[in-house]
Amino acid sequence: MVDVGSLALVIGLVLALYAVGMSLAGAYWRRRDFIASAEHATLAVCGMTTIAVAALIHALVTHDFSLEYVAHYTSTTLPLQYVIAALWGGQAGSLLFWAFILATMSAIVLLQNRERNRELMPYVTAVLMTVASFFLGMLNFVTPPFQRLAFTPAEGQDLNPLLQNYWMTIHPPALYVGYVGCAIPFAFAMGALATGKLGDEWIRTTRRWTLLAWFFLSMGNLFGAEWAYLVLGWGGYWAWDPVENAAFLPWLTCTAFLHSVMIQEKKNMLKVWNMVLVILTFALTIFGTFLTRSGVISSVHSFTQSGLGPFFIGFLLASLAVSIGLLVWRLPQLKSENELDSVLSRESTFLLNNLILVGMAFAVFWGTIFPVISEAVRGVKITVGPPFFNKVNAPLGLFLLFLTGVGPVIAWRRASLRNLQKNFLLPVALGLVVAVALIIGGVRHYTAILSFFLCAFVLTTIVMEFYRGVRARQAMVGEGAVTALIRLTGKNRRRYGGYIIHLGIVMMFLAITGTSAFKVEKQITLKPGDSFELGRYTLRYDGIKSRETPHIAYLTADVALLDHGRQIDTLRPEKRFYKKPQQPTTEVAIRSTVISDIYLVLGSYDEPSRMVTILAYINPLVSWLWWGGIVLALGTLVTIVPSRTPARAPAYVPSRGTQPAATTE
Amino acid sequence: MERRSLSRLGLAVVLCAAALVAGAVTPQVRSVFGATSVSFQDIEESLTCQCGCGLTVHSCNHLQCGSALPLRQEIREQIALGKNRQEILGYFKGKYGEKILSAPTTTGFNILAWVTPFVLVALGLLVVAVAVMRWSGRGHGAEATAAREAPRAQSPYDDILEKELKDFED
Repeated sequence: MVDVGSLALVIGLVLALYAVGMSLAGAYWRRRDFIASAEHATLAVCGMTTIAVAALIHALVTHDFSLEYVAHYTSTTLPLQYVIAALWGGQAGSLLFWAFILATMSAIVLLQNRERNRELMPYVTAVLMTVASFFLGMLNFVTPPFQRLAFTPAEGQDLNPLLQNYWMTIHPPALYVGYVGCAIPFAFAMGALATGKLGDEWIRTTRRWTLLAWFFLSMGNLFGAEWAYLVLGWGGYWAWDPVENAAFLPWLTCTAFLHSVMIQEKKNMLKVWNMVLVILTFALTIFGTFLTRSGVISSVHSFTQSGLGPFFIGFLLASLAVSIGLLVWRLPQLKSENELDSVLSRESTFLLNNLILVGMAFAVFWGTIFPVISEAVRGVKITVGPPFFNKVNAPLGLFLLFLTGVGPVIAWRRASLRNLQKNFLLPVALGLVVAVALIIGGVRHYTAILSFFLCAFVLTTIVMEFYRGVRARQAMVGEGAVTALIRLTGKNRRRYGGYIIHLGIVMMFLAITGTSAFKVEKQITLKPGDSFELGRYTLRYDGIKSRETPHIAYLTADVALLDHGRQIDTLRPEKRFYKKPQQPTTEVAIRSTVISDIYLVLGSYDEPSRMVTILAYINPLVSWLWWGGIVLALGTLVTIVPSRTPARAPAYVPSRGTQPAATTE
Repeated sequence: MERRSLSRLGLAVVLCAAALVAGAVTPQVRSVFGATSVSFQDIEESLTCQCGCGLTVHSCNHLQCGSALPLRQEIREQIALGKNRQEILGYFKGKYGEKILSAPTTTGFNILAWVTPFVLVALGLLVVAVAVMRWSGRGHGAEATAAREAPRAQSPYDDILEKELKDFED
């Protein structure tokens, strides 16, 4: 199987290069047979990467330690789910997995569109297969996953214990699907630039792909946050680590793109800007991969330092050069008749929204690379850590939250005073009620008060939108409230799905505000029977137990949680000692409620005295982050699932000579 | 007339929002640029643990940490000496180098780290403001809008457009 996998990668690379050449030649000479051959090669690349992935999984599952990768990342005692997850646990395997997802998506896109978008598809195929060729080139020549060892060890070194967690089995795949998904709109955008078909056909064709990529980027980031919260044991979920930032950057620009395309669809404006956002998003996915693998910036999440950095930076620069070159070439045709009916309109708020999202992306990018710049310019190593990112992003994030409330309910084209009064009086009033209540309640954290004010403001605008829609349906059709709500959402999935996504974002802002402003923490050393106060709770250390499996030795503390003298739970924070890598990890104990999480970490244990050191936190509202993620996922599902009613034609009037394109989602 | 007052209202709303955000984040800005009051946790959060965890001294949860523990002890000693925030951070910077600070200083070249994002956002705001003003000025009022829309009367999309816009506004 190993040789089959290795051979599949070689054939895959040859076929991908062939697909690039034949696609471009077919498009240039208008040879349908060339294009068909390139399409077959693309499907075959999918087959080859599937064979290679199957071969590596087979080697992992059968513990073939003659392979360097298998010996390095697994052991015979590693549970099966983590043996399979080791596929993306190391450098070469994760690149193979990436290439597999890309090839699979390319095949799906091809099958979906080869008849619908005949003109665009050769270029789309060429772009996707160029990216695939790059990854397959890396796999063949720089980090081969099927590299054999000079001798076969009896046992493997095991997977990094920090990766032996449920969330790590789904966090990297989600993120990779998000990253790779961003290549699809990029490929169509390049196809549009190459062919000169610059209407919004490519946007409507890739809308669901973009949403899918955005969804997986969102989930990838959230799963990573959940993993950090549960495994790293420092009481938080986001540390602005360079690798976390790398995953966050394309999410920000992709979010900006999802908003700005609406203006292109409705007003036929911002064509150049949308191209820029697509190019930027794709470039940031490659930048993120470069950052994780190059060792340029140190991070707890990065793979082992390797020689991949120069190749990635070269590929990134080449991609930027070609795509920007195409964009500049087509600039005259991309100029649109930009026209707004009023300064105060939804279009204006969407422009502001784009500015803030891209501004945040720049701030995160700037902070991430500033240590490198500082070292290059001054020769001085500096650190840009959480205080910088929190301080720079807090005002931008709050302004974005404000726009989240304003944007959806302000009228397209022109808002009237009546429209503003109707839409914003109640939300502002309720926001003020919340703010005043917090101040009366003794809260003096003004950033938090502003954030809660804005959360109430946005939440009210969303609820009002649903309420009005339901009332209108009830009045017109005489439906019950629930039926009206379901049908209202079903009839305009994009609009109401968007509101649900915004609701999820508000919930996340609540969590971020709660944990940033009101966290309570304590570190204490206790002997059995000792108690300590944490907020309104009392925690009592009752003792410690140990147990063992062939893979792990566990040390579990029993800590009783008391509320006003009454025991309401027993929390069991653990220390785990992984036997193969001889590495300890912490397993936090959490009691999660809507209001807060009680979060305990077992720090150290002194056997003779049976004393333990415990780190205890109250993380207010943190569960809203995870629930917000679920709501966001639901909203995306509503938006992405095709409506039963036929798709509507674009609302704007096509310019002379442009035929209205068919919806081809 | 209403159009002009709406433009003003729009500007006022954006300025109010900006002022609110600015007011709320003033304490953070103060903490960046020259706050003098000192708290143990603030200093902990201003220093990066050197054990490789990538977290601040405050967040590092390695209880036997060879970096965070001695640093915490040093922070206590510096506070006990009656030094202010700047003096304490200056002490750590002098002893361990700039990399110990968890955020760039606000002097010299490092000021670029803080200022650049906001300068670019401000410039972007200016560009957006100018673009919106220019684009919204193209119609020259309701008559022009009506005149512009007149030739579209035959378009099959007009009804859909009007219906959609009405839906959105209602």
